[in-house]
This record gives sequence, structure tokens and C-alpha cells, in this order.
Amino acid sequence: MADENKVVAELRESFGKGAARKLRALGKIPAVIYGHGGEPQHVSLPGHQVALIIRKSNAVLALDIDGTTQLTLVKDVQKDPVRQVIEHLDLIVVRQGEKVEVEVPIRVEGESYPGTIASLETTTLLVSVEATHIPEGFELSVEGLEEGQHVFAKDVPLPAGATLISDPELLVVGIMVPAATLAEGEEGEEGESTEAAAE
Amino acid sequence: MLIPRRVKHRKQHRPHRTGQATGGTQVSFGEYGIQALTPAYVTNRQIESARIAMTRHIKRGGKVWINIYPDRPLTKKPAETRMGSGKGSPEWWVANVKPGRVLFEVAGVSEELAKEALTRAIHKLPLKARIIKREEGDA
Repeated sequence: MADENKVVAELRESFGKGAARKLRALGKIPAVIYGHGGEPQHVSLPGHQVALIIRKSNAVLALDIDGTTQLTLVKDVQKDPVRQVIEHLDLIVVRQGEKVEVEVPIRVEGESYPGTIASLETTTLLVSVEATHIPEGFELSVEGLEEGQHVFAKDVPLPAGATLISDPELLVVGIMVPAATLAEGEEGEEGESTEAAAE
Repeated sequence: MLIPRRVKHRKQHRPHRTGQATGGTQVSFGEYGIQALTPAYVTNRQIESARIAMTRHIKRGGKVWINIYPDRPLTKKPAETRMGSGKGSPEWWVANVKPGRVLFEVAGVSEELAKEALTRAIHKLPLKARIIKREEGDA
């Protein structure tokens, strides 16, 4: 994973919003690297390349900073909600073979029993895995599950080397029959009664 | 329709419309959502109308979340009234929506059906909006 995500980072010497805005105008992303008790390092990363990499959850970047390679895990992403531009990245230092706790997304596969829907109650699971072997997601099959059946965190198949940190009894998927659309008459009555309550 | 059960002050100042949403900007519950691109006061009637448009299109199956709540009253003076004599009477309940805010979410339906349902909901709202999908990469 790390080889694919090789990124050349430049150390930053000017800080603050003015400097950060200038960097963003050049198509770069300001970022900070910290962890393992070391001093935080301020860097700038190539915007487009990094944006493509961090589309996947828990991306590990192999940063080339002045000739030295540093493995980092994306800890936090600051994004403009409207323009969807990455404004800043927090990267945490990781080492080869080190175990990290990360939130891994759950992907539901298959179709539950006809007439039922699989409601995903928890979208991510906190697991402890090796930093260089973080799974992109956990595939969870709901094929043929019937109404009232539940899948808990302990039932999600984890890859070798991953340990579940989340509560094992955490509800992940519930199979339910969808509620029918409310009749029009009912909706009207409901509206009038609530309007009276606010007066 | 959504309406507060009890309020501290019956008449309030008009909410600020500047700036962007600082929270509720991602799809948190469902798979697809509507994200506002312009600011607006969304009334409880518009929220209800959008919800009905969505649920009618989805028919059976799927789950809908409403992420905004109309908790701000707007007042209006009666027509042909001279200025003065105090503030008008409460007329609407609105949610103060700012750009970036996710208004509705849907899950449990196909992408095609979800997008069509959300498009119908957008048509009922007084703002520009887009359909967004849950993202995995946001750490």
C-alpha cells in the first residue's frame, strides 16, 4: 500500500492563513505531521495526487521529506463542505509493523430476504491493525437474512491480524420490513394538530 | 409538520444568513443526501413537502432522515397596516440553512431510485442543492 502512495512533501517555513492560502492557490495542501513524541513537522503536499489517495479511508502515505521517507497515516481531513477542496491534513507518524487503531468502513453486500431491507446502524468499526495492512473495508454479506435478524460487531469477519476494539455487541445491521408510506389523510391530521400546539 | 412544542420567546430576530454550515456537512446516517449550496430559510411546510415527495417516490423500502428542524419563528405584519404598533405575529417556522448543510438523507434503496427521490425533494426547497454520497475517505 505504502509504495503506491509515495508523495513528495516540502517543508513549510511560513505559517498562518495567508501562507496557507498562497499554498492552496498553487494547488498544494498544507499539512502537519506529528506522533511518536517527535516535534511536529509542517509540510505542503501536491493537492491533486493527495486528493486521489485519500479518497480511500485510512490512507497511508509514504512521504519523501528532503530525501528521507516517513510513513504517515491520515488522521484528519479538513474539507470545504461546498467546494469539496481539501484545506488541511493531519498526518500521524506510523512505523512498519506498528499496530494502529483505525475506523474501518463496513460495506453491505447481497440482498436480504425479499420484502425486507438491511439497515446499516453502524458504518465503521474500530479495529487494531498493522499500519501497513489496513483493510479498505469489511465486506458483510446479508444474503438471505430474514426479518428480525441482527448482525453484531463480533459477527463481522475480520482479516487476519485485525483485532476488534469496538463493543462486540454493537449492532451493525438490522433486517427490517420497511414502514409503508403514510396515508395522505393521516398526514393532514398530523399537521393540523401540531400547528395548534405551537400557538 | 415539524413545529416546536414550546418556545422561550415567541418572536425572535431574523436569523443570520451569512457564512457556511459548520456542522452537519456530511452524510452521517444514510447513503445519499441533499446538500445545500445557497443559504435559505426552509419552512416546515417545505420540509414536509420534500419529505412527502421523497417517500412517495420510494414507496416501500428505504429509510429517510430529516437533518434540519424548523426552530426559528418568522413574523409578518398584516397587509395594509401602518408601520409601528410593535412586531407582527409569528407566521412561519423556519430552519436557518447555510451552504454545506446536509438536509435529508436516504438509505436502503438503489442509487438510481435515491437520486430521483432526492431530486424531487430538491424541487420543493427554496435553495440550490446537490446530491451527495457517503464518503469513506474522511478520516
